[in-house]
Amino acid sequence: MPEGIAQLSVGYGPIIMLLAMMGFSVWLGTQAQKAVERGGFMQGYFLGNRGLGAWALALTATVQSGGTFMGFPSLVYTHGWIVALWIGSYMVVPITGFAVLGKRFAQLSRRTGAITVPDLFDARYGDQRVGLVASLAILGFLTFLMIAQFKAGALVMKLTWPGTESMALIETATADAVKSAYDTRYLIGLGVFALTVVGYTLIGGFLASVWTDMFQSVLMLIGVVLLFVLIVPYVSRDGMDQPTLQAVAATGDAYAFGPGFSTTGLAFLPLGAAVSFFFIWPIGGVGTPAGMVRLMACKDTPTIRRSIVLLSFYNGLIYLPLIVICICGRALMPGGFAPDEIVPRLAIWAAPDVPGGSLVSGLILAAPFGAVMATVSTFLVVIASGVVRDIYQRFLRPHAESNEIRWVTYGVMVLLGVIGVAANINPVQFLQKLVVFSTSATASTFVAPALMLAYWRRATALGSLAGMLGGATMVLSLFTAGPLVEGKPMFEPYQLLGLDPIVWGLAVSSVLSVSVSLITPPPPDELVAKLFDAPPSAGAATQS
Amino acid sequence: MTHPSEDTLVRRARREAALALAIWLVACVYSVSYCYLNGYERTADSLTFVLWFPDWVFWGIVVPWAICILLSLPFAYRLMGDEPLGEAVDSEEPPASEEREVQHA
Repeated sequence: MPEGIAQLSVGYGPIIMLLAMMGFSVWLGTQAQKAVERGGFMQGYFLGNRGLGAWALALTATVQSGGTFMGFPSLVYTHGWIVALWIGSYMVVPITGFAVLGKRFAQLSRRTGAITVPDLFDARYGDQRVGLVASLAILGFLTFLMIAQFKAGALVMKLTWPGTESMALIETATADAVKSAYDTRYLIGLGVFALTVVGYTLIGGFLASVWTDMFQSVLMLIGVVLLFVLIVPYVSRDGMDQPTLQAVAATGDAYAFGPGFSTTGLAFLPLGAAVSFFFIWPIGGVGTPAGMVRLMACKDTPTIRRSIVLLSFYNGLIYLPLIVICICGRALMPGGFAPDEIVPRLAIWAAPDVPGGSLVSGLILAAPFGAVMATVSTFLVVIASGVVRDIYQRFLRPHAESNEIRWVTYGVMVLLGVIGVAANINPVQFLQKLVVFSTSATASTFVAPALMLAYWRRATALGSLAGMLGGATMVLSLFTAGPLVEGKPMFEPYQLLGLDPIVWGLAVSSVLSVSVSLITPPPPDELVAKLFDAPPSAGAATQS
Repeated sequence: MTHPSEDTLVRRARREAALALAIWLVACVYSVSYCYLNGYERTADSLTFVLWFPDWVFWGIVVPWAICILLSLPFAYRLMGDEPLGEAVDSEEPPASEEREVQHA
């Protein structure tokens, strides 16, 4: 094992692995296209013919994203063991993510023929206003997040270029990287990234997005296992307590305890924030539109059950080892570089003694890049389906031919790619904060109305509308109040009683959804019976 | 209250959703309170370890996480049932427009 960190060099491994990953993703897109062609365009392109299996559902339907995967190691390195509590709610994400809405969304999407989440809301209440508000919320919240991810992809390409000095993978806390991002390598990276992701998503639609997402999830697991095997036994050769004790010696006692080590004087995870993150990840995961669409696309109920088990083991294998790895990283490399560089630095530090070391480093570094590609691809499909299905087809051309819809879809995806590139020529900031904002906003908009849609016969269109608008307004108000009232930076919310906006958004949305439903006339019996009761033939068979 | 003609899948899914949210609530209350009581505002002198983990991380996060992983097995294979999802209706046109056409007729 090399002892120093000053002479670390990126080498050719990462760029080779990145190019290989892009090539493989395009190939997956072509394979997905063949599967899509087996059914009608809408159902095939936007829902994969409702045939997702357990692996695809388990590894792609929750709240993992490029931002989450890349920011998390940096947080552990910076703040210490308290980040275990920050991410601890992932222990229940598989159960909440699939068991809360999975079966009903899969069933309702089949009964109604819904392709998108707004489709489902529209069909449940027979009211276009509900679908329209859902569409606008999805387009609004996800478009900003997608645009921000383009920058992350471009930066990864730039910073893994052979000879690049900085190895930071995202922009947070790396002001120098942001400033220097305005250069040729960044622009080339942006162009290549956009062409690749838009290209393979356009070719294969929803399935291409799912398959590449699944591929990067497997790659991430391989990367974590490799890092764990290469780093942890070495650092803890004198005892398993050594990584923490060495990290504490380099920082302070706070590194091993809550609310976490901080150089800014601000507590990283006070009690209110710890409670809030038990809402953000598991409940946010229930309410994410991309996740809901994947539930609608699953093959059958055994798929949902198996996905719970698969994702439970996967999350356990990813997050707990990654925390130990990053604590070891702090012991090995006490500082002198941007925290975002910890994973690439560890990958490059650990690999030289391993056969094919540069490629092993590349494999580990390619995983976060794959996460960004998969995230952008997912958003492209969800946003394009929102524009094409929920606006163009619903309001402008309800009886458009399949071929027309296909070309409009392609046009929207290309347009989204152009917007993503144009918006990032002058790079946007706040990627990590945008992830939390978007998760909070979509959860506050959709969780309560989605639960009512699935399980409450008395729920009404106006109740659902009130819940969506109330939840979204609450979150937006608190995120606006942060900078305006407290002078915080953009996307730093006002935390009422120390709690994150998602808690207040969910509370307001739930109260409004229920109370407005109760004071408005109940929905038509026929509509409710169609979506909640056993089909006539099945009912007759049961009675006989 | 359950409607007498309600589909079996709806009843079971509602019960499973409630159970999942109950598990989330228990995990949240246990982990946050255990970690807050045992992992905040301490000094390194009192620190003990289980494997690589500080004591409060092991008992407050690792153990409940392992329990959740193990719990996923009986949850998925014992508590949850299988029901047919039914045939998908034609999806090439928005579903609600059909619904409204029927209602208007």
